[in-house]
Amino acid sequence: MSPLSQTENKPLFERGPSLGTRMVLLAVLSVALMFLDHRQGHLETVRRALSVAVYPIRVLVDMPSTSFGWAREKFTERNRLVVENRELRIESLRQRARLQQLAALEAENARLRALMESPARLANRVQVAEILAVDLDPYRHRIALNRGEQAGVYIGQALLDADGIVGQVVRVNPLGAEAILISDPSHATPVELNRNGLRTVALGMGDVTRMDLPFLPNSADIRVGDLLTSSGLGDAFPAGYPVARVTRVERRPGESFARVEAEPTAALNRTRQVLLVWEGGEAEASPFVVPPADVAAPRTGEEPE
Amino acid sequence: MSATVGPRSWPVYLTLLVALSLEVTPLPADLAAWRPPWLALTAIYWALAYPRRYGLALAWFAGLVLDVLKGGVLGQHALAMTVATWLTLRFHLRLRVFPIWQQTVAVIAIVATHQFVLFWVDGVTGGAELSWQRATPTVAAVIAWPILVAILDALRLRLRMLA
Repeated sequence: MSPLSQTENKPLFERGPSLGTRMVLLAVLSVALMFLDHRQGHLETVRRALSVAVYPIRVLVDMPSTSFGWAREKFTERNRLVVENRELRIESLRQRARLQQLAALEAENARLRALMESPARLANRVQVAEILAVDLDPYRHRIALNRGEQAGVYIGQALLDADGIVGQVVRVNPLGAEAILISDPSHATPVELNRNGLRTVALGMGDVTRMDLPFLPNSADIRVGDLLTSSGLGDAFPAGYPVARVTRVERRPGESFARVEAEPTAALNRTRQVLLVWEGGEAEASPFVVPPADVAAPRTGEEPE
Repeated sequence: MSATVGPRSWPVYLTLLVALSLEVTPLPADLAAWRPPWLALTAIYWALAYPRRYGLALAWFAGLVLDVLKGGVLGQHALAMTVATWLTLRFHLRLRVFPIWQQTVAVIAIVATHQFVLFWVDGVTGGAELSWQRATPTVAAVIAWPILVAILDALRLRLRMLA
């Protein structure tokens, strides 16, 4: 009756390669994969194909937190919604007032730049992307996004939130993307001091609340509370967005460099939505800034239809 | 006759899929380091249950999928899963008859090897620092293994998966 012995008993004669051989073969295959992926980056097609298959898992894992947010939205009391709505209106009014000023400033800036014959700065186009609630590798600061190739996302694209720079895209799949946060130990952000234009590099430390600025001499003019903005050098990030605020300056007479730490202004571990930035996009440009016709705008992808 | 038909295979793939999801399910920041290696434990369980059906190739492929899911170096988890499953299969005749506590000890040794391979690959590809958090998945597996065995044993009983 029971077929248990048929399939499970060790057959008298082994068929195929032995266990040890198979294990060595697969191990060698793994090492070859790692070599090709890490050293040469040859395996993007394999990764892309698998990542499409894996994307449903990410969405599935993300679902509880999405539906929790949805339920919270559905069942909040009317009173609270009204209050929230009123607050948002006031906030919006305030922002709009500041925006009026911005338009005037932008126009002035464009005129001044025209006088100095320097190319006008192009406005940036942004699109909102959601961070999927998935924990990637715990030893790296990576996030998964729900926008990919079909939304025009490209490798190296900058990510912002309401308060500053979050990170940049390192991998793009047809449906989603992966990004590295500025707090990852392997990430460096070119920054400048907003107060005096001092340029340096801010390194991630593997801690979302701290960044390291190791290349500032003891005599550098930097104080606690200074704002660091992206310098735009290295073409990784658009210039002029806040990155971090200096929290600690320790001048060490015995060493050649001061110890300086800063706290990222963006809410790196709390934000749910980020903005993807296309530099020099044609949309959302203020009516006052006319991009020069001879500057060929880089191909920036289209809005999904 | 149906006597040659082996146990159904969809529960195996389903549980591996669930294990894959658990590997990336968001945890509170304090607990994130304590995530047991669900996929490795599940693969070890099925390798113990059906050593001639679910072995190295399946574990290797599952590891590769996990690599893509976590966005790490391709082949890292594949290698670690292969080594863990190989150790399991190598000693499966002994492991299967162990009482659960003794089996847990043996599985922990396998998981420790698995974690070491992961750490080693991290070290070779750059950016691995030795901290106490490297040991926490292995410790978490001490608790996770008996629970996993209880759940999957019950599942097999319910589904009348023989062998």
